[in-house]
Amino acid sequence: MPAHFLATKALEKLLSLLRKQGELHAPQRGDDGVLRFALLKAGDSPDLDALRTQLPPKKYLLHPRETILTYRAGSGYQEPQGRSSPLILFGVHPCDLAGIDYLDRLFLGDAPDPTYAARRAALTLIGLSCFPDNLCSCHLHPSTLKASCDLYLQRQEEGFVITSGSLQGTELLEKLKEIIEERDLPIPEDTRRFFGRQLPPPSQSELDAAMPDWQELANHCLGCGACSICCPTCACFDVLEFGGLDGSSSERLRCWDNCLFKSHAEVAGGMSFQKNRAERFRYRYRHKYRGFGQLKNIPSCVGCGRCRAACPAGLDLRTLAERLERGNP
Amino acid sequence: MNASLPVPATITTIRPLTDDTTLYTLDCGLNTQNNGVASFLPGQFLELSLPGIGEVPISYCGFPSAGGAIELCIRHVGHVTTPLNRSVAGDAVGVRGPFGHGFPLDSYENQDLLLIAGGLGMAPLRSLLLALLNQRQRWGELTLLYGAREQGALLFLEELLQLAKRNDIQVQLAVDRLEHCLEGPPNCRVALLPALLEQLTIRPDRTCAALCGPPVVYPYLVSGLKRIGLPDERIHLSLERRMKCGVGRCGHCAVGTFLCCCDGPVFNYAQLAGIEGALA
Repeated sequence: MPAHFLATKALEKLLSLLRKQGELHAPQRGDDGVLRFALLKAGDSPDLDALRTQLPPKKYLLHPRETILTYRAGSGYQEPQGRSSPLILFGVHPCDLAGIDYLDRLFLGDAPDPTYAARRAALTLIGLSCFPDNLCSCHLHPSTLKASCDLYLQRQEEGFVITSGSLQGTELLEKLKEIIEERDLPIPEDTRRFFGRQLPPPSQSELDAAMPDWQELANHCLGCGACSICCPTCACFDVLEFGGLDGSSSERLRCWDNCLFKSHAEVAGGMSFQKNRAERFRYRYRHKYRGFGQLKNIPSCVGCGRCRAACPAGLDLRTLAERLERGNP
Repeated sequence: MNASLPVPATITTIRPLTDDTTLYTLDCGLNTQNNGVASFLPGQFLELSLPGIGEVPISYCGFPSAGGAIELCIRHVGHVTTPLNRSVAGDAVGVRGPFGHGFPLDSYENQDLLLIAGGLGMAPLRSLLLALLNQRQRWGELTLLYGAREQGALLFLEELLQLAKRNDIQVQLAVDRLEHCLEGPPNCRVALLPALLEQLTIRPDRTCAALCGPPVVYPYLVSGLKRIGLPDERIHLSLERRMKCGVGRCGHCAVGTFLCCCDGPVFNYAQLAGIEGALA
């Protein structure tokens, strides 16, 4: 069966064709040495060998700080006006695609969030296959999340096999006709490593705060929250309101929040339901691997390895997950 | 529809209940304009917005389905509720809701009901109490145990003392200390809430307990109720958490794998047993 093939030398052409569809962003290493998704200007090349950007693409869908409502005396609270302009993310690896699937389920499920929905509708995802390193665990983590995208680029020796993953992707392929060859290739092994295995339901002993493994890991946590900031599926947010200087208007903001911070579970009067660091550490674990609310039982770790790369104490939740898995074959 | 968008409401009356707690009545307009924010079940909550200040989750306190009017009993302790104290009648606020699951009224049919409130926990239980009294014939025996720090902190005291005169409900009040009031009100003892349980005779197979109080009393109340034979499924508690979005997204109100805003805030104890940090 012929496959759509893009030769490496035609990549520049592909990028300029993509730029016509909207603002093109791709992983690039900045002058500061940080790898990040950023605007890919004409003439610049994306970093195709890069494994993990410092921040996942969630920053495009959930801005670290964004206005969700405005208030004016007389007209009350209103949704901010303005539409999202088309954005194309190029070179998104399967783990990050699965992360976006999780965010979609969270923000587009019951009562869809309009800010998220508008950004998501304007987003085109071009996936790119990768080769996991020792921090990656996408091939280990059971997950029902799908690494879906509009176009998927599977790396070959001299180029990429392109497959479409959506209606939009198929339309886009049409527009790329001039640079795509039809080659008779063996269908490459799909490296989107999500096997759809479900974790067994948590047993009482796993969630027992006194379990030595828990204590051991939790005691080393510094509570800095880096793991949560760089996680593609961590989406806890705080809601803040800032009054305008005119005294009659205000803005309501949604900001990234962090379950490892002491303030996360505090209620009015200062009472907290996660008083110590170990409790907060377990809270994060439970959320990652067991889910809660409408996403209960959907493990949300996509194995991108960012938390392991970022943790200043070298903590690795994977060891705990593996121990639990072994205990529950 | 945007579930995060508050609908406008107006503060119509402000009634100080104690030094730090006020009962507000809000007019939310007609049902068609307010997205049903005034149609709630006892135990559910809404998000109250004070423009320029922020938003807080507050339990409904009044009788369900009182037109477009809602009553909210608010203690001025937080970053929104403290400035709220400066509001006057006629001020504009925002409301959205109702959120969560309330007390399971349908399962209370023909059951004896034991309502136990501590401090500000009287607010949501007042809503339940009013709903129960409105259809008094549907339930068995009604008992209310209500405890507060001192006499001045007992909310709705006059209302409750009026109720205590009725013969179809038993009202027992308790204060931790008498302070300068050398005599407490009638039906009031100097005792802690769990101590009131000890003298209670219930029919465990046909009694349900509805609890709302500060987290610190829950472990004592639950063990007290278990001691007098009440099974876990018949103990319903309303949990307090920092519910910022109300629709299961912000991640602040998780209790184990439950979310207080969607799965609660009213849970039965069988759901909560064994969850770290669920009660306090």
